[in-house]
Amino acid sequence: MASSMGRYLKHAKDAVATIFEGMSVTMSHFVRKPYTIQYPDRTAVRVQDTLPLRYRGILEVDLEICTGCLACERACPIDCIVIDAPKDKVTRAMLLSRFDIDIAKCMYCGLCSEVCPTGSIHHTTEFEGADYSLESMIRRFVKDPVLAYKAKKGEETDPLIAPILDRGMEFLAEWAEPIDMKKYKKEQEEAAP
Amino acid sequence: MSLAGYEFEVQRDDGLATEEMTLNMGPQHPSTHGVLRFVVKADGEIMRTALPDIGYLHRSIEKISEKVGYHGFMPYTDRVDYVSAMQCNQGWAMVCERAAGIEVPRRGEFCRIIACELGRIASHLLSVGTMVMDIGGMTPFTHAIREREKVNNLLEDLCGARLTFNYMRIGGVAWDLPPGYAEQVTAFLDQFEPLIAEYNDLISYNKIYVERLANVAAVSKEEAINYNLVGPNLRGCGFQYDVRRDEPYSIYPELDFDVPVGTGEVGTLGDCFDRYIVRIKELKESCKIVRQCLDMIPDGPVLARVAKKLKPPVGDAHVRVEASRGDMGWYVVSDGSEFPYRTKIRTGSFSAMSIVDKLSRGIMIADLIALIASLDVVAPEVDR
Repeated sequence: MASSMGRYLKHAKDAVATIFEGMSVTMSHFVRKPYTIQYPDRTAVRVQDTLPLRYRGILEVDLEICTGCLACERACPIDCIVIDAPKDKVTRAMLLSRFDIDIAKCMYCGLCSEVCPTGSIHHTTEFEGADYSLESMIRRFVKDPVLAYKAKKGEETDPLIAPILDRGMEFLAEWAEPIDMKKYKKEQEEAAP
Repeated sequence: MSLAGYEFEVQRDDGLATEEMTLNMGPQHPSTHGVLRFVVKADGEIMRTALPDIGYLHRSIEKISEKVGYHGFMPYTDRVDYVSAMQCNQGWAMVCERAAGIEVPRRGEFCRIIACELGRIASHLLSVGTMVMDIGGMTPFTHAIREREKVNNLLEDLCGARLTFNYMRIGGVAWDLPPGYAEQVTAFLDQFEPLIAEYNDLISYNKIYVERLANVAAVSKEEAINYNLVGPNLRGCGFQYDVRRDEPYSIYPELDFDVPVGTGEVGTLGDCFDRYIVRIKELKESCKIVRQCLDMIPDGPVLARVAKKLKPPVGDAHVRVEASRGDMGWYVVSDGSEFPYRTKIRTGSFSAMSIVDKLSRGIMIADLIALIASLDVVAPEVDR
């Protein structure tokens, strides 16, 4: 009887002691800097502006530098990108007549922007895309059919397109450059005696 | 009757009929960690059985792989276990590399391990945080989630997403470490490591919490092996087995880390508390691994060039990775075309579900919550 009473009291003492230990940790947070912010209207800068360039938000297409190569459409695992790019029979030039992205289907994996040769299709830092109907979730980028962009040999000279192309290349520069492993190993062996 | 060391006397008046009570716990229950249902047969507060009913989150991910090809399947692997998606990414990348005989650049391997171990920290923090919350402590959950948020920010800087990373590619990783990343990660680890001790002060060794978990649903070593438990659940029983150490892959053989096991420090070996404390200890080990990787990481490329339409030779390949929920097996059969013939994923949560029926016999209904939380079951990983 006495031993069980003693055990009970010891348990109670331990419980109180460890509760105070835990409470001291909690109390110490009164003097620490809070980690929470009041989203969305009381942040110093828009959250979108604080995100890294790599952030995978809602997709955007710069039609001015789209080459119509269909690499993004092929890379997409869920077929949320639809492109129509017929060839003009007379001039043999490629016309972009449709470029739709269904952002309700999109899973923001980034496989499309990885394969784009000019950085035309890229992720923005926008993430708030709520709307009232599924139809409005389809982003239609082509209003009137436009000519597909043709990469020039030297530097881009058109003052309208050059800054857009520079921005596209900035997005592309984030991705890792794939290398030929056999070649790379050979180079390494040659470099090391 | 006897229950976990306590003696009960069930008194019944003659002539009154009694029957077992059948309860449904879930599928929409916050403490089942996803859409998961338990059919509980109880005699008052004492459980006869708790049968898990799985399949609510089945998305036929294995079948999808047969339709989208080797490269296109990578974002789907994020959804196998969305709490620690990095290791799933690594499993798929590794099994394809083994099937097609692709070599990964050395820096790419380091990037993978850094990302994986940061993912493990985030996953274990969520696990220990929700475990305390399921049992009734609200404050520690916010502490754990706050630290997890910082890991998520780091991973966002690395790959642009917070949960479904899609970071790895067959042949390496898609993004190199951004400039100044090592300093950022080191700064995080420096402030995080003391917080593990603080977390222990706050809740782990709290007497009420310990009494709630000690001696509940203990698993012996033999049982754990028979029921195929893996990962922290297996190590909680005192069996030191870790794929990273015993069947090393990637650059793990070069790294120095311990494999923490349960010791039964507050009760029986292999009880809920042991499974919990193993995860806390693994947080420290993961920090150690990340620090070593940041010190050892060489310069160079991170991604090897792989054919756009990858066609591995006819045959099959199997790899095992140590995910946050234990040994994760990836198996792929190639018929020489650009789509896998068959993919099979073996996950730790699925085998953990099989032991719930056995362990739940004779414990209290409230202890079932502690049991499920300590097994760290993530429902999408059970069903895939």
